[in-house]
Amino acid sequence: MEQFLYYIKVSLVSIKRAPLPYALTIFILSVGLGVFFANATFYYQLNSDPLPAKSNKLFFPMMLITPYDCNDCRPPRVLSYANVQKLANSDIPSAKAAMYSADGYARLSSSQPPTPVVIRITQRDFFAMFDVPLLHGSFWADDGGRFEILLSRAMALKLFGRTDVVGEQMLLDDKHFSVIGVLNHWQMLPRLYDANGRNHLSPTEDIFLPLETGYDLHYLSKTNSQTFDSTDYRKLSTEGRTGALHQLQYWVQLDTETQQQAYRQFMLNLANDEKAAGRHPAPINNQLTAMRDIVSYFGDESGDIQAFALVTLLFLLVCLFNASHLSLNRYLSNQYEFSLRRALGASRAQLQLQMLADVLLMALFTIVGALLTGYVGIKLMNHLLPGNSLFSSWDIPLLLSLLTITLVCSYLVTLYPSLRASFGTLNQQLKE
Amino acid sequence: MSFYLLCKVLFSRKVVTGLLLLQLALTLALLLNSVLLMQQTNRQLKQPTGLDLHNTLLVQLKPTTSSLRVYPALEELFTRQLQAVQSIPGVLAAAYTNQSAILQGGNNGNIYDVEHQDRTNVPAVPMYYVSKDFFTVLNTSVLQGELPQNVVSLDDPGRPAVVLTKSLADKLFPDKSAVGQEVNRGRVAAVIDDFYGQRSAQNVMYNGIQVALPYTVDWGYSILVRTAPEQTEAVRQQLDQVIRKVEPNIEIFYIRNLAEQYQRLYRTEYGLAMLLGILSGLMLLVTMVSSYSSTHFHALKRQQEIGVKRALGASKNSILLELLSENWLCTAIGASIGVVLALLLNQALAQVITIPPLNWYLPLTTIVTLLLCVTVATWYPAAIATRVSPATATKAL
Repeated sequence: MEQFLYYIKVSLVSIKRAPLPYALTIFILSVGLGVFFANATFYYQLNSDPLPAKSNKLFFPMMLITPYDCNDCRPPRVLSYANVQKLANSDIPSAKAAMYSADGYARLSSSQPPTPVVIRITQRDFFAMFDVPLLHGSFWADDGGRFEILLSRAMALKLFGRTDVVGEQMLLDDKHFSVIGVLNHWQMLPRLYDANGRNHLSPTEDIFLPLETGYDLHYLSKTNSQTFDSTDYRKLSTEGRTGALHQLQYWVQLDTETQQQAYRQFMLNLANDEKAAGRHPAPINNQLTAMRDIVSYFGDESGDIQAFALVTLLFLLVCLFNASHLSLNRYLSNQYEFSLRRALGASRAQLQLQMLADVLLMALFTIVGALLTGYVGIKLMNHLLPGNSLFSSWDIPLLLSLLTITLVCSYLVTLYPSLRASFGTLNQQLKE
Repeated sequence: MSFYLLCKVLFSRKVVTGLLLLQLALTLALLLNSVLLMQQTNRQLKQPTGLDLHNTLLVQLKPTTSSLRVYPALEELFTRQLQAVQSIPGVLAAAYTNQSAILQGGNNGNIYDVEHQDRTNVPAVPMYYVSKDFFTVLNTSVLQGELPQNVVSLDDPGRPAVVLTKSLADKLFPDKSAVGQEVNRGRVAAVIDDFYGQRSAQNVMYNGIQVALPYTVDWGYSILVRTAPEQTEAVRQQLDQVIRKVEPNIEIFYIRNLAEQYQRLYRTEYGLAMLLGILSGLMLLVTMVSSYSSTHFHALKRQQEIGVKRALGASKNSILLELLSENWLCTAIGASIGVVLALLLNQALAQVITIPPLNWYLPLTTIVTLLLCVTVATWYPAAIATRVSPATATKAL
């Protein structure tokens, strides 16, 4: 320990002797790493797997069952109610849920001002499939229509001022509903169950309503909906259930490879049956996309973040080269001191230990500078690219990774200069 | 001062020069692509929209009670709101519409000449259901035909007449006048000047408008307001209060002028261009620091050499020029490698974002900028080096 403190002391003396080159090295490394950290935060969060245990078991089936000859021959990204019924007519999946989202207004009584809410209109299995935690109450008993809703924790607090509100009544778009459950803290990021049109960047919903009730009450999708025939979308409860009005996401849980194969075969059989019945004029194109691949399937990756990731990586390289350059100059300036210590008996290994002390100090200063730069960078990116703002938080694994990267960079920046200073010809170096 | 000697001096310190060259090359590559992206965003933000962006206000709103979202209550609400807005001093015209212009996407559908559906079908054309003053608000010129004057319900028998923008009319009916022709949405009544509709459409100027009551306002609706120049801000201040006074059960999502709406539409590109611009500035700063430190260090190491040169009659200016020339040569070599890297980076970026290819003049401009920055950064340490007295520098010889 005493020796280590001595190395640190020598490093500090060396810094004091030429503070400007050292400060410039720290500044450049901090800027490079800070900018890299800022973008890495978004990149890491956007590409994280919100359900690592299930993301390869949850699938989005899509089929080209539409009443037209196809244009690009890709199945629609949203499904009609009728097609979901056909796809749900199988016992192969362990769980299945159709869903969409809509806007609404909630209040406790008609005399109160309305609170704008986002509603997820879905089925019972949704909660089990996406590991939604329940704080109070229960989920729906089945997939039937009912005037029963579940609230997010934040919405329960906003409307009632408390979370234990099971059994309470409230108004949703002027209709009376009973609260049967309140969810615990839950923010699935990215929200992959609704990835179409970059909706996976949005927060989770405030209120959960049964699918059948949503259709009965004519709630239209707030995101993507398409009509491929003369269906009047205002008549959701009738024409919407039979016509080609597409607005649903549909997820199935297929736990094993056998189940997946069986469901693919089920989809193929269904397509053939539909074709035979004249309801499938387009060529068969069935897709069974896993949740982890859904964003790339829809082509909705964040190009801005990817482009900036490439650029910031190159910028980090520039900064590393620059810091190495500065560090090399600094070590060459101290060449005489290194040589003198070697002449007095210090081994190369001891000089390398001195270098490690330098690295530790440099990493310490750099991590502080990089975190500050990263923080400012994240604020700036949130301001300039607000669509990604939900993905700007740091967590422990991310911070540990950033710390490791800083250590590695500090080591790389110091490695060559210190080796060069330690391995020259002693005689010549002492003469210079 | 010979080119050969300059090269020899430069490459006598291989590692340092190599690092500097790599830095310069990467900096130029990033700088070039950042400038390209900024130019592209600038062009997008300046493309003609056919609209008076600064004097047109957009109010996006929705009734909060379901009883107000159905006819006839909704029609009566439209009337009351428009009357109130039109009574604000400075308002030239106001109209409701199911959706505004200048959007990413929205309510749209395919449109075709009913006689030639197979070859005239245009997908994703915005469908506007508007009040008759919509055209006055947008200040569009009627190029052919006459604008419909009466609002009809889409549920009535007989479809309302359609107004097309010029680009769409030309696409659907290239060889004849569109007026009087039948498209799948109804009979074409008029053709108007182009205006910016939806960014996701095949052509942003393709628009189809019907003077009719919107099917539904479940997704909200817009009130567009044309104001007298210089009075836009005053009108904007009053709009919220006036609309809420008419009917309190309304959520007003936002009130903005179309210039702000347009800026928001390209917010991602603008944000990325700004970020890359800031990064370019940082890169230039890093390059300047590098050039400064390199010149400073090597001038110190070469004090004796400079002293000897001075003693042999070299002027301060020739020493300064020599040191600057070393940096210019280094920058020129780094920049040449940088142009190749810039091409590669351009191709890599084109995989994830829309970015134009490199042109011939931009590399030249960027190299000149880089040279200027390097010159500024190396001037001071080079000037200091020339002040070395020959007597002091050669004392140890």
